[in-house]
Amino acid sequence: MKKVGTPEYDLSDKLKYHVSALSTAAKEMALPLNITTHYPRERKRQPACFRGYMLFDPERCISCFQCSFVCPANAIWMKDAPSGRYYPTVDYGKCIFCHFCIDSCPGGALRTTKIHDVAYKTMDEMFTSTEEMIEPPEIIREDEGVVDYVIDKEDLSLKRTKEIDELIVDVEPSQGVPMISVCVDRGSCLACKVCDKICESGAVSSVVEEATMTVKMGIDAEKCTGCGLCVKECSMQILRLVRK
Amino acid sequence: MIDISGLIGTIMNNPVNIPLLYVIYDLLLKIPVLGGIVAFLLDFTILGMPIVKYIIGFVLWKPFFTLIIIPGFATLGTMLLVLPWLERKLVGRMQWRVGPREIEPHTRGSIQLLADTLRFLFQEVIIHKDAHKHYFLQFPFLYFIPVLLPLLFINAGAAGHPLVPIQTDYALQIMIGLVSLMPVFIIGVAWAANNRFSFIGAVREAFMYFAYEIPFIIAVLAMIVLYGTSNTAEVISGVNQSTWLHWGVILNPLAALTFFIATAMATSRLPFDIPEADQEVAFGPFVEYTGIVFGLAYIMAYEKAYVLAAIMTMLFFGGGSGPVIPYLGELSYGIWFVVKTLIILLVLVNLRGVYPRYRIDQALGIGWSAMLTFALVALVWSIVIGVII
Repeated sequence: MKKVGTPEYDLSDKLKYHVSALSTAAKEMALPLNITTHYPRERKRQPACFRGYMLFDPERCISCFQCSFVCPANAIWMKDAPSGRYYPTVDYGKCIFCHFCIDSCPGGALRTTKIHDVAYKTMDEMFTSTEEMIEPPEIIREDEGVVDYVIDKEDLSLKRTKEIDELIVDVEPSQGVPMISVCVDRGSCLACKVCDKICESGAVSSVVEEATMTVKMGIDAEKCTGCGLCVKECSMQILRLVRK
Repeated sequence: MIDISGLIGTIMNNPVNIPLLYVIYDLLLKIPVLGGIVAFLLDFTILGMPIVKYIIGFVLWKPFFTLIIIPGFATLGTMLLVLPWLERKLVGRMQWRVGPREIEPHTRGSIQLLADTLRFLFQEVIIHKDAHKHYFLQFPFLYFIPVLLPLLFINAGAAGHPLVPIQTDYALQIMIGLVSLMPVFIIGVAWAANNRFSFIGAVREAFMYFAYEIPFIIAVLAMIVLYGTSNTAEVISGVNQSTWLHWGVILNPLAALTFFIATAMATSRLPFDIPEADQEVAFGPFVEYTGIVFGLAYIMAYEKAYVLAAIMTMLFFGGGSGPVIPYLGELSYGIWFVVKTLIILLVLVNLRGVYPRYRIDQALGIGWSAMLTFALVALVWSIVIGVII
């Protein structure tokens, strides 16, 4: 068994380490290798895909509930608007900023910003209604510069530029994978027309055949946005979302 | 009956010689309106005495000037305002932090200590019921006596131009005696606070006192033996420390090292802040203090450091000797003295960015083995050098 003890230094070692410690301190005192961003006065330049505060565009929303379904933290609740449609509200007390909602939004109604410094006085205020999500929150900007982290070889250094970073990014909304809804088992269809009632884009059509007293449902692949509402609501669970 | 005219004559005949003042005076007289005002003020007499002239002469009177301006209270006050800020800034840079900044950001937070002082002034001074009320309030103020009295003997001048309030042959002994008196007041503070942490701090302070006091006195004794005098005016004379090659730190580096470590121990700086260890005993003897009294306690360590650094400058770094700055006359010695003292103080306070705290047994071990050995060797070395030179 090997016994681990305190290292033993002789006088020359001790002197060497004292000189090394003092010279390191003097060097850092003169030229510190500091890479701290002085945050309120300057901001780190964030990428356009930064996952920050979310903005909402009601014109693009098709009330498909996809954001609400996909939210792993259950932070997005749909609230009914006067227009009869359902729009998302975000509880930032629960939100984990995974931005699955933005990725899953088929219409691109939700989009991200670089805003990451929003303060709330109470927990209730963190529940953000749809109206508050349309306009970006009021921010008092104190920053006068932008900081970029530059990696040259293996070392990290700061590059400071005098400009003001725009926090509202204008990027193309994520289209995701184009999906359409198809019926996989037509024989089990009850013709309850739930899919027809719920479809926002009018892709579901029903044809009544008088001879056989049956109703044939059809989904128009061109009109279907792949929102998945009919898949959720189908009472027989015979609808599936597949790739276009 | 006091001989007023004789007294005034004594005062007016012993001024600090600053040629720059005469240059400024001549320039002022040439400015149209201001020159007239200045000339009127200087000739203004009450009871036949040019009172403004006498006031200026009194301020420039050597003993008064040295006590009040350099190296006395004004320098001490400036140091107390600047040194904690410089310490926090430089240690911050060492540790990749920013240090004080938010108060007056244009000057990098330089008036942070003024803001702290304001806060201390408006804080309530709490005297808890277990404390000995009178001693609890008196000891921090009594502590000022041994801290401020050494200012009377500090010599900021160079060879032939002493800038010292009182010249005596026992100056160094008195200063060392006063410095050795300081821990008594700290222990008194701790006793009056009647708190377990302050008791622990007091015991630690006593331990540290035993660790540094003997080597400290022997190191000073070695320099007294080397210079053959303990008068602070003669320590920096034409014979002693005439050029930088004859500085105490060159002639007797071991004594300088011992003195420096003893200074770090005496002022409770890291790596020897054992009595006041924040993380363990929460500022030790001063744990119960609040408000301005705590501010005094916080600042007293810096005052002590200033006194000890000034003694170190006199004994080991040639006092105020340095290249003469034109037009400043005798003031240039004072400026060199302040610069040297500030450098020593900066090295002293920035040790806390480099070293962790020693355990109390390690500190005692350093005091009684390494430092005592160094001090004794330095004493013998001084005797040998003294015989040779």
